[in-house]
Amino acid sequence: MTFAIFLLFALMAVFSAVMVITRKNAMHSVLYLAFTVLSVAGVFFTLQAEYLGAIQILVYGGGIVVLYIFVIIIVNLDEVVPGRRKLMPKVFIFAWPALLALQVGFLFLLNRPVPREGPEGGLEFRAMAEMLFTSYALPFEIASVLLLAVLIGAVLVAKRRLSRGSD
Amino acid sequence: MFAWIPLFPLLGALANGLLGIKYFSRKAVQAVGVGSVALSFLASAASFVALLRGSEEVLVARLFSWMTPSLVPLAGGGKASFAVDLAFRYDSLAAVMTLVVTGVGLLIHVYSVGYMAYDRSLARFFAYLNLFTFAMLVLVLGANLAVLFVGWEGVGLCSYLLIGFWFSKDSAAAAGKKAFLTNRVGDFGFILGIGVLLFVLGTIDLGSINRLAEEGALTKGAATAAALLLFLGATGKSAQIPLYTWLPDAMEGPTPVSALIHAATMVTAGVYMVARLHVLFTFSGVALDVIALVGAGTAVYAATMALVQFDIKRVLAYSTISQIGYMFLGLGSGAYAAGVFHLMTHAFFKGLLFLAAGSVIHALSGEQDMRKMGGLRSRVPTTYRVFLVGALAIAGVPGLSGFFSKDEILASAFASGRTVAWALGVLGAGMTAFYIFRLIFLTFFGAERMDEAARRHCHESPPVMTVPLRILAFLSAFGGFVGLPRLLGGGAWFATFLESSTGRHAGHLAAGTEALLMALSVGIGLAGIYGAYVVYVRKKGAPAFRLKERFGALHRLVFRKYFVDEFYDGVIVGGVLRLGRLASAFDLKVIDSLVDGAAALTRRLSKVSIVFDGRVVDGAVNGVGAVHRFVSRLLRQVQTGYVYNYALAVVFGLVIIISLVVTVF
Amino acid sequence: MVPINAVFALGIALFFLGLFGVLLRKNLVVMLMSLELVLNGINVILAGLGFHLRSPRGSIFAIFVVLMAVAEAAVGFALILSYFRRKKTYDIDKLNELKG
Repeated sequence: MTFAIFLLFALMAVFSAVMVITRKNAMHSVLYLAFTVLSVAGVFFTLQAEYLGAIQILVYGGGIVVLYIFVIIIVNLDEVVPGRRKLMPKVFIFAWPALLALQVGFLFLLNRPVPREGPEGGLEFRAMAEMLFTSYALPFEIASVLLLAVLIGAVLVAKRRLSRGSD
Repeated sequence: MFAWIPLFPLLGALANGLLGIKYFSRKAVQAVGVGSVALSFLASAASFVALLRGSEEVLVARLFSWMTPSLVPLAGGGKASFAVDLAFRYDSLAAVMTLVVTGVGLLIHVYSVGYMAYDRSLARFFAYLNLFTFAMLVLVLGANLAVLFVGWEGVGLCSYLLIGFWFSKDSAAAAGKKAFLTNRVGDFGFILGIGVLLFVLGTIDLGSINRLAEEGALTKGAATAAALLLFLGATGKSAQIPLYTWLPDAMEGPTPVSALIHAATMVTAGVYMVARLHVLFTFSGVALDVIALVGAGTAVYAATMALVQFDIKRVLAYSTISQIGYMFLGLGSGAYAAGVFHLMTHAFFKGLLFLAAGSVIHALSGEQDMRKMGGLRSRVPTTYRVFLVGALAIAGVPGLSGFFSKDEILASAFASGRTVAWALGVLGAGMTAFYIFRLIFLTFFGAERMDEAARRHCHESPPVMTVPLRILAFLSAFGGFVGLPRLLGGGAWFATFLESSTGRHAGHLAAGTEALLMALSVGIGLAGIYGAYVVYVRKKGAPAFRLKERFGALHRLVFRKYFVDEFYDGVIVGGVLRLGRLASAFDLKVIDSLVDGAAALTRRLSKVSIVFDGRVVDGAVNGVGAVHRFVSRLLRQVQTGYVYNYALAVVFGLVIIISLVVTVF
Repeated sequence: MVPINAVFALGIALFFLGLFGVLLRKNLVVMLMSLELVLNGINVILAGLGFHLRSPRGSIFAIFVVLMAVAEAAVGFALILSYFRRKKTYDIDKLNELKG
């Protein structure tokens, strides 16, 4: 039963991901991206990663996707950007990623992780939170510093000009 | 609960250091600086009450995991899981230390409000002072040597910053550098000691080290090595032989700094550390003998220098070195509680003496030379009275705090059979009484010898400075009663309270012997005071001059601080310089002549080659250039500037890396 | 019970769809979106492994990946805005100052 739901979400995610990269209109792509993101959230729920699912919906669905929409609105609505490239070595563009995909898939099949014994009841938030704030406290703090740096950097880059005199 | 104690000074330091310098008014800076330490003191007091009420003897607060568990190889060939938490440990020893640090610290902060009232960099001063308090609290609360070391280095840094607080003065900047570098020598030993413990025991948790040492997980040699290395760190931080030279120079800092850092708290960090790891030191045995001898030696040695100095703060600085020597003598005799007891009373009376000296300096518009003081008794009466209390306490007059603690140390030294160390200690006690009363008589009695300008401005300090002085005077007078010995009808409550963290002191003397020793040390203290009175009041210093003339060489030796500074300068600094000069001479003579010869040869050769150059080489160079241009025109095609091409390159790299990983590993 | 291979398949599929998006599209905004697909694919694999191995680490790492995605999106948008202000376009192929 869970697997059926997983398959449903997975197919939806893959289908909309294909749509994201093939639509000509960026706005359509964003809407499909939202769809992908919500489907992946569903996948997380079937994998009993409820917290991650919630984060996915809140941060991706609520934050990032909406930001994409804003950016498209701000930047331009009218200009049509050609969807595909003209000049490109097509063989390489498909061959190398395909090779990579083959390698990765093969590796996963070879080194299949042995499932750990344990109750089927899902992962407790408590265990995760405890680990996050003890063993991974330092990465967590560093991540917060990263976010601060991004905040400042984004403002600096997007600012119209640094000072009056620099123009 | 107790984990909150260090938080407030940290916040205060951040607020004053980051915002205060630009945005706060002077009042706000003072309020933040003093308020944060006051809150910290309240937290310490509350924690202390909670510790007394509660049944737990040791409380540990684990904030978060600093280094996650990993396997480390041990000396014995095994492996141990090694992890370090950022954790605080609160027991009776930590309680005493936090109370002293925050309590005396609070008084000194309040005093600084008055003393530094007209300084331009007030916010910087309070930021450093708060940062120091924070670091010191981390040091005394740290539950493992890593956290302790963070505090250890933190106080060293703050000490450097505060000695060099008036960094525009060359001597202050140099003194700061000297303190920092000298401490570095000690810290080197300290960190090696931590390394030895880690290598032998696989843990650096304070509780575990003591427990494992008790269980005999250490060999005697390893324990001695670790203990002596750690003690080397203590000699640096606590200004003992041989690393004491920085402390007198540290008096270049503002006086509240000298009181807080270089008398009451930081310099006792070594004492605290030894008491903290007492099981290790006791187990080693040899280390204890070394500590007792170094302590007793320093106590006398520094006291002799204090006898002849004329700078009021330097006398107190040498006195501090000498008193810390007493603490180490107590620790080395196995009487850890006595050492810590003296640490506490010393924090009271030496903090008092320094602050009162600061008040004198303040009154005389910055004059520190005792030859230009005198007769201040009526001009600064409050300062005189509190100074007298402090002097009586340090001289070991019965009933005042210094008497109880010093007497307990001397009794323990005698009881543990260290007669030489004990005799040195008694000798030092007499000298202590003499030099401190020499200071009093030169400063407060006799004729007024100051400049006319200083005399006119001479005034008593404002209440914001005298109130902390009065409180400290009260503590110096009566603080000793918490450790009233059994002989005098007390319960030695202090030692009993500390038993949970420093262990029970074994050696006990018969009541008669103890009374005799007590009488002896009281007698020698009073003799010292009387001696100073005769020399400096009744005979107006004449005998001192006569002695100085008769034993000119000896006086010069002591006055110039046994030429140790010169010795260090000459042998260590000079050695490095000589090595440098040697290298430089080698460079000038040998290498340069080689180079010159080569140059001459080259010149001659070059004349020949000019011809060759014009014909053959130029052609080759142009040819190479042409080839490069051609190749680069081809290679330039790779850099298309298109993002997707670079992305493709990344994918290609991934393919290669994965192939390598799969095939090679 | 979800078989781990299915999770891998989904993760790899999303990852490579995203990769192709980055390689094939010319629109800067769509390229960024494709990067989000890549990160989502990685997250699916992390969550699947965490589920499979009964370890909270999968979710923890995935949270860090989400955090990275947020940071990347923020910086990306800032770059798009300043780029657009200069060039009045978001055709990636006009961005070739590095061309040798």
